[in-house]
Amino acid sequence: MTTTDDLGSNLELPHLPRNVRDGSGLRTYEIYQRQRVRDATPLIKPRQLRSPEYLVDPYPVVEILRENYPCYRDWVGNSFWITQYDDVTSVFADDLNYETRPKLWYYDMVGFGRNLGNELAVLWNRSNTWQQQAEPLANKIIDEIRSLGNSTDLATEFVARYALELLALRLDLPRADFNSFVERYWRMQRGYLWEPVAAQAGRVAMGELVDYFRPLLEQRRTSPGADLVSVIATLELPEGPATAEDLVVTLLEEDHQTLHGAMANLWYLLLTNADQYALLRDDRRWVRFAYQETLRHSTPVISAEKFALHEVERFGRVLPEGALMYLSAAAANRDPRQFEDPDRFDVQRTDLCQREPRGTYRADGLPAGVAFALGRPSKYPAVPEDRPMSLWALTRDAVVTGSRVLLDRLPDLRLADGAQPSLRSLRWGEMHTCWSLPVVY
Amino acid sequence: MTMTCPFHSVLNQALDLEGAGVGAEGAEVAPKKEFPFMPIGQAYDMGHAPDGTPLFDPRILDSAEFARNPYPYYRILRDHYPVYFDKLHNTYWITRYEDITRCYFDEEGFNTIPKGSSSGVLGNTQLELSGVEHRRRRNLYGRHLVGQALEKRIYAIERLADSMIESWLSDSPPPGVTRNADGTLTIELGLAFANEFPIRVVCQVLGIPDDVKDKFFYWYYSMMTGLGGSETAPNGIRARQDLEDYVSSLVELRRREPGYLYDHAGKVVGKDIITQLCESVLDGDYLSTEEITSNIALIVGGGGETTRGAIMNMWYLLLLHPEQFAAVSGDEALWDTAFHETLRCASSIGGQPRHNTYDVELHGVTIPAGSLCQMVDFSANHDDRIFADPEAFDIFRSDLYSGKIIRSGHHDDGRHSHMAFGVGPHLCPGAWISHQEAVVGSKLLRRRLKKVSIHADKMPKDIDGVTLPPIGLGAIRELWLDIELA
Repeated sequence: MTTTDDLGSNLELPHLPRNVRDGSGLRTYEIYQRQRVRDATPLIKPRQLRSPEYLVDPYPVVEILRENYPCYRDWVGNSFWITQYDDVTSVFADDLNYETRPKLWYYDMVGFGRNLGNELAVLWNRSNTWQQQAEPLANKIIDEIRSLGNSTDLATEFVARYALELLALRLDLPRADFNSFVERYWRMQRGYLWEPVAAQAGRVAMGELVDYFRPLLEQRRTSPGADLVSVIATLELPEGPATAEDLVVTLLEEDHQTLHGAMANLWYLLLTNADQYALLRDDRRWVRFAYQETLRHSTPVISAEKFALHEVERFGRVLPEGALMYLSAAAANRDPRQFEDPDRFDVQRTDLCQREPRGTYRADGLPAGVAFALGRPSKYPAVPEDRPMSLWALTRDAVVTGSRVLLDRLPDLRLADGAQPSLRSLRWGEMHTCWSLPVVY
Repeated sequence: MTMTCPFHSVLNQALDLEGAGVGAEGAEVAPKKEFPFMPIGQAYDMGHAPDGTPLFDPRILDSAEFARNPYPYYRILRDHYPVYFDKLHNTYWITRYEDITRCYFDEEGFNTIPKGSSSGVLGNTQLELSGVEHRRRRNLYGRHLVGQALEKRIYAIERLADSMIESWLSDSPPPGVTRNADGTLTIELGLAFANEFPIRVVCQVLGIPDDVKDKFFYWYYSMMTGLGGSETAPNGIRARQDLEDYVSSLVELRRREPGYLYDHAGKVVGKDIITQLCESVLDGDYLSTEEITSNIALIVGGGGETTRGAIMNMWYLLLLHPEQFAAVSGDEALWDTAFHETLRCASSIGGQPRHNTYDVELHGVTIPAGSLCQMVDFSANHDDRIFADPEAFDIFRSDLYSGKIIRSGHHDDGRHSHMAFGVGPHLCPGAWISHQEAVVGSKLLRRRLKKVSIHADKMPKDIDGVTLPPIGLGAIRELWLDIELA
């Protein structure tokens, strides 16, 4: 009989490190992972994690996991679900063992462009624009809304527009291009997940955005302003000047969800919780607390994906190299081990960290709400003088500023009669937020 | 309420808020989607790229349409996405024959480390090992299922098939057998023969006493349906535990009193597999009961459903092609060809999982180390780069190798072996015995039959409610036959 060795030697192996070539680094021995009866997971079916119910209300499903199977092996999605607060934050902060893959990887377009989001000049641009423009912008939008009558859809007309116009202001786009930019931008942001039609449309949108930005970038390279396009055009980079592709990739990779999603969720929660709303109307000091509590109670980014960089033994399991981990913020933020009465929206709760988590998720000894898209806790113990504000703090300030303006300018804002707003993800894996919030004022 | 702000419509267009989004409750946006049934061989249109490339929706893989009509979808994958990254299932699907062959041989690059859903229930088996550890364990029992060792068992297999057919005429026929007034029989081939036959062969080969046969069926069934973290997984795990408890007592017995196999003259031809495993020394030590049980669980899993499916599909396909059935009836040597063409056209096992040991680039796709790569044997067998007109069942095809099964596969003189057993170091160790079971059993059955035809009324129907169902993925569940025994 032919042996495997005879056959193996005929194969051309790619250039490999020695420990792989001679087999010494290859694991061939057994890893005992047999399940016992107690390891069965009868309380949940993997399909529940991908059901229409999960899109609307993920909390009951992830609660089953958190309370029964804190490291759940999902065979349908070939992944592990991590659901308890301490586990989620520890994996999220662990760069040695787990990696986040960029959206460009999901698009299968690695190398398309550089993500310049961590360049200091880009960070300063965001910090300056948001701090200076947030309040005038909120006032401007409210002026327009008020001029149109006494009712509106707060989720789309105010919140979504506020988030997107802040972005457009950073780019200093001509007013006439705003609508087409928003449409392409959203197509790009929605395309990197599993849905093939959206993925195709997203790739096309990226191409369109590159074509749109290329002349603008060249023009501003010669006569730069203070906007993001100019900043990127004039960056001095070791690999050569930035291209339109780099600009588009930078836009793609930057979080766009929390400002929009958290603000919509905040107002959804306020308008459906009269006592909490009254608290804010009496004392603006609570707006900031309400935002924090919103990130905990109804976070817009309900899960994050991490991949194990190598074999890790954790949670009583061998997590193989390359294992996909779903970190569920929805589950962690309602973990009763951390938060008392976790399903209650309580602006005044005392068991939630009220400042930016620094170093760990337990600044002040209190758990913070897990908000993935805002990045991990800053390594800086406080904001240094010469650093721009973190995305975490900027997003908070932008939401708080916008919400204060709303409270001031539309003091009798309330839900329209018969309105039954709800939170939902438009598609599996997308942000969980309120897409329609009809109000009168 | 006024809604005149122009931004509303911009966002609506971008997010489709009134279409698939907020309005429709999740039907189109969750990963579960009902796809319409298509005519066999024709794919549902999942959209197109601007250059005309068809798009592939990963949800189709979970659909009833796919289970019934998989091949046009595999064709899209082979032609346009030979390495398809399915983000919904976090899986790379490898679908071309040549690629799968290469990956199966590349034991280092595409390893078998136990991450698979089966190891939970079956335990660690040599399915999940590589290199020398794999070879040693595989040879421990693999050698009992090939060559001379197999030859010695054929008599027992024949006798078993004969007795099962004979029982149809007894006073208490097995379930699935009805005697009609005119002396003919109506049988359901699965109930009457194919379900039980391979398992009884396995029991015999292993040396499981007849009195625990029924329990054995239960364990086998529970374990098979309990794979893959399915809803029935607890039953599978429990059955695995029961099996282990039973086997450990049997192992104790066999260590003291070996079990033997006999030939037609009642002469001892060898010891049963459990006895031989009890006596085997590996890495300087006797095998543990746990190891023996895992191997038995694997033999049971591999030896039952697959062979059942081969027998069922072979008879179904032959009876749907009367001229080929006539040819096989006239020349018993053609049963081997029919067996291989059946496995090429409709095998029971869809493929094997592998994990790449390091980053691999294949067809322009970079697969990060540690990713799950599913080798789709179903698709390889229908790859028209290898097999002309692959959807057609044709035992006379000139591009299929149907000689002795070899682990290197066969790819000379314009003939390729089918992929149902895989190729390379992990080629199904039961390939030879499964071949013998299906062919010996079918030959014997054919010899006893004066007339045979499909009893269409009792058969499940295709979606139109009239025609016979396609086989789709895996094996048909029921095959009702009108027969007249000689």
